[in-house]
Amino acid sequence: MNLFDNIMMGFGVALSAQNLLFCFIGTLYGTLIGVLPGIGPVVGVAILIPVTFGLNATTAIITMAGVYYGAMYGGSTTSILINVPGESASVVTCLDGYEMAKKGRAAPALGMAALASFIAGTLAVILLTFIAPPLANVALSFGPPEYFALAFMGLTLVTSLAGDSMVKGLMSGIFGLIVACVGVDAVSGEERFTFGFLSLLDGAGFISVAVGLFAVSEVLCNLEASMEQVFIKAKFSLRSLFPNLQDWKDSLAPILRCSFMAFFLGNLPGAGATIASFLGYAMEKKLSKHPEKFGTGVIQGVAAPEAANNAAAGGSMVPLLALGIPSSGTSAVLLGALMVHGLKPGPLLFQTSPEFVWGLIASMYIANVMLLILNLPLVGFWASLLRVPYKILMPIIVTISAVGVFTTDNNIFDMWIMFVFGIIGYLMRKLKFPAAPVVLALVLGPMVERTLRQSLTISHGDISIFFTRPISAVLIGIALISLCAPLLRGVMEWRKKVVEIS
Amino acid sequence: MRRADQITGILMLVFSLAVMEGARRMPPSGTFGPGAGFLPFWLGVAMAALSIILLVNATREPALAGGRAPFPTGWKLLPIVETIGGLAAFILLLETLGFLLSIALLTAFLLRVVEREGWLTTLTVSVANAGALYTIFKVMLGVSLPKNTFGF
Repeated sequence: MNLFDNIMMGFGVALSAQNLLFCFIGTLYGTLIGVLPGIGPVVGVAILIPVTFGLNATTAIITMAGVYYGAMYGGSTTSILINVPGESASVVTCLDGYEMAKKGRAAPALGMAALASFIAGTLAVILLTFIAPPLANVALSFGPPEYFALAFMGLTLVTSLAGDSMVKGLMSGIFGLIVACVGVDAVSGEERFTFGFLSLLDGAGFISVAVGLFAVSEVLCNLEASMEQVFIKAKFSLRSLFPNLQDWKDSLAPILRCSFMAFFLGNLPGAGATIASFLGYAMEKKLSKHPEKFGTGVIQGVAAPEAANNAAAGGSMVPLLALGIPSSGTSAVLLGALMVHGLKPGPLLFQTSPEFVWGLIASMYIANVMLLILNLPLVGFWASLLRVPYKILMPIIVTISAVGVFTTDNNIFDMWIMFVFGIIGYLMRKLKFPAAPVVLALVLGPMVERTLRQSLTISHGDISIFFTRPISAVLIGIALISLCAPLLRGVMEWRKKVVEIS
Repeated sequence: MRRADQITGILMLVFSLAVMEGARRMPPSGTFGPGAGFLPFWLGVAMAALSIILLVNATREPALAGGRAPFPTGWKLLPIVETIGGLAAFILLLETLGFLLSIALLTAFLLRVVEREGWLTTLTVSVANAGALYTIFKVMLGVSLPKNTFGF
């Protein structure tokens, strides 16, 4: 089946009434999640997993992918209007977006955010269509050592790029891997770290952990500060939303550059939408003729990160579908969702379930169109939602999280896990430990262990197997370099100082 | 933060040693490759090494005069403790009180006690929230939710 046939088949699947409906529900819910501060795409997708049990796998994943993109679109609304990012990938949009709003240009800022997201998202899906299948083909020749190396690299990149302190990022990642060991060991049947709790035999449950670490801890953190929102009033007539010609002249090149950069960044296991948005902003600032204007309310400052975060979200679907390796917290949860629905992510997915893969890819095109429509005319509606005070939202978020977690297995114990990890998450935030590596490691953990043990069994305990096979050696090399980068930087600075002194 | 990092380093070191000890007790690696305790043991080692690095880095940093403590103190800690307590009580009482009552009570508790909202807001939002969640999860999605002895 050639590419064209595959795409047609995909649209055949995606354009079914049920899939269209659920794509719409997903994008709507995702935009809502993005708009509401205090709840992000990780939690939004995680809570949806048990809810979608009744649906078939394709529809379920289409819905959840829609939520992912929707959150990328919706997050910019709060950034621009109240200087509060709806989720982490929209933090950078606050910088220029809110400044534009203060100058009375909130409407074009919102419009440009939606349009940049649309262009970037569509470009990303087009690139995904061309890159994912050949990558999956290459990966078919991967053996356990290559998979271990890939997962190892993914985890290392995420933990070393997350947050300010690499040590803390690594500790979060290793903590996640330790939590992943809880339960019955697949190979030997041995109970590990279950402390006699029957409910822990299946592991800690990544949904409960994710919701605890992200939703509950966020609520606890927000209780400290008073969440007073200063709301910028703006008129949202449809015409005012469209950026003018000068805006387009300023933004088009940044959008295109950031889309390509972010897409390929999203391909790397380990780099996600948030990092991409920061890099996009930084890159455009460096390339601009007037870098000093960034931060005062220039439209490229909105267009660049918004394009970047959507392109990266699309790009992160490449390793997810082709290799079975997630790029970020949200795609880790998506990976978990795929497994829960009985799909085995990885290169074989293209062979065993082509209707699912191509249906999903086709629905991403559709989702981008739906989101453009949802975010342009309806922006006034989303903005009015922001008037709901956080004080009212907070208990709703807590109760939804608790119920959502409960529905995974109808087991009260899952809520206790959410509770414990909520407290752990709060402590982690206060002590500046990043939370995303924990979820990533939790989802990748079983695969990491399985491939490690398989590789060592093949090599009879010889670790050099990872270094003698070329692909695995390269991947592990990249991982080790990223770990040593701060050390190298430190050495170079020290040498500079020595040169200056002498 | 420096003091907090030192304490965290020590606590995580203890945690890693516990993990390593737990892993050591698992059956040794057999003929079919590394055993159940292999990965946990080495994860414990890695965590121990990182904890020591954290501890050393924190100790070597010059103590900043007037450095901010990461945790809120005194009465600012109260809403957090109340919320944690409320959530624990909710989980404990869910099967006794049933879904509707528990959700309503938790919402009311969070609004009234933690956030000091007025009675009218508390009542309307609690009832609305419990009703909405019940409708979405029980009625629309068909999830089975805990009931109390009175049947709701």
